[in-house]
Amino acid sequence: MIITPKELHDRKGEFTIVDVRSEKQINEFPMDDLETIIFNGGSIPNMKGSKVLVCQFGIVTEGMILENKLDDTFSLLGGAQAWIEFQSKNEDLSRWSRQTILPEVGMDGQKKLLNATVAIVGMGGLGCPAAQSLIAAGVGKLILIDGDIVELSNLHRQPLYGVNDLNRLKVEVAKERLEQLNNKAVIVPIDKYFNEENGMSFIQDANVIIDATDNIQARQLIDRFSKDANVPMIYGGLFRYEGQVAVLNVNGSPGYCELFPEPPSGGDSCADAGVLGMVPGILGNIQALEAVKLIIGITPNLVGKLLFYDGMNHITQTIEL
Amino acid sequence: MIKIKVKCFSQVKYALGIDNLNLEFESGTSTSQLEKFIRRKANGELDGIPLRIALNQKYIPDETELQDGDEVAFIPPVQGG
Repeated sequence: MIITPKELHDRKGEFTIVDVRSEKQINEFPMDDLETIIFNGGSIPNMKGSKVLVCQFGIVTEGMILENKLDDTFSLLGGAQAWIEFQSKNEDLSRWSRQTILPEVGMDGQKKLLNATVAIVGMGGLGCPAAQSLIAAGVGKLILIDGDIVELSNLHRQPLYGVNDLNRLKVEVAKERLEQLNNKAVIVPIDKYFNEENGMSFIQDANVIIDATDNIQARQLIDRFSKDANVPMIYGGLFRYEGQVAVLNVNGSPGYCELFPEPPSGGDSCADAGVLGMVPGILGNIQALEAVKLIIGITPNLVGKLLFYDGMNHITQTIEL
Repeated sequence: MIKIKVKCFSQVKYALGIDNLNLEFESGTSTSQLEKFIRRKANGELDGIPLRIALNQKYIPDETELQDGDEVAFIPPVQGG
């Protein structure tokens, strides 16, 4: 069983709190406002009443409870790290404990995500999985831009929508579903197509733009506004079982027009060429992963590179731009 | 003679029906000559589709002389999303 820092704060009189951390961790990261029993190894003392075990990140204690089949014992989600954060800012970040434990993310990275804004242009096959993953990761604000409505042929690859949503605006349905995943995030639905007149106003305050469109003209326009506003663009494109992702326009790095200076005279959309829903699911998630890395500042990343993914034989290749 | 490996992506792969080609050319063959060869082999299916060229996993200007053992990828823009 787990308990969050906020729950522990509200109910701390009900528990005996056992700190299982090393002396070094206890001294380095003291848990103020919490009376604890220090546990120095061996078997967990047999105490009456409910207990909360605390380790540094909340992982060790979950294992101890399972391994020792401890009754009436809780693990503090996110551990001492999440408690200290909660005490100092009154902000419970423990739901992200599985990613804040990563040294590259940590609490500082999580706060960057919570303060970040991502604009997603196109809420189709790439936009749906990208939005789901970004909101689950804790991105604070999403701007969703798409003037389209939900059609039956969308459902196999756009998992935010269901049969009861047919003919509704995609961005409105997406907002409802995404708020169920994180009701503290701000979702701004824009039921318009991205164009020359309105595009800049939608992306200029974002930290990152996800290009999840389905046509090259829109990609060129996003590229231009991305350069003008100095907001990086994460390009994603699909063809049958294959996809491409690149992180563009980061401090003067190549953009879409450097990647493909010459537009094709024709070309296949998903409707023309066909697509299995899992392929945009994978590619949209790679775009979301790159967005998170860019916001936090994690390297290496796909800045100045074009990634290919082939879902038929699961080969990836990276080309330097 | 030089040996060249060609990696085919997206429309190029479907036009030629193959992922990779191992080819032999005269010394001095350039990337644009190789592109013409690939387009001829595609029987018009790549008409109207611009191709970017990567040599040994790096984008290059179109006209570069190929060396023995080079790997060349032809990369078309893709629309879907």
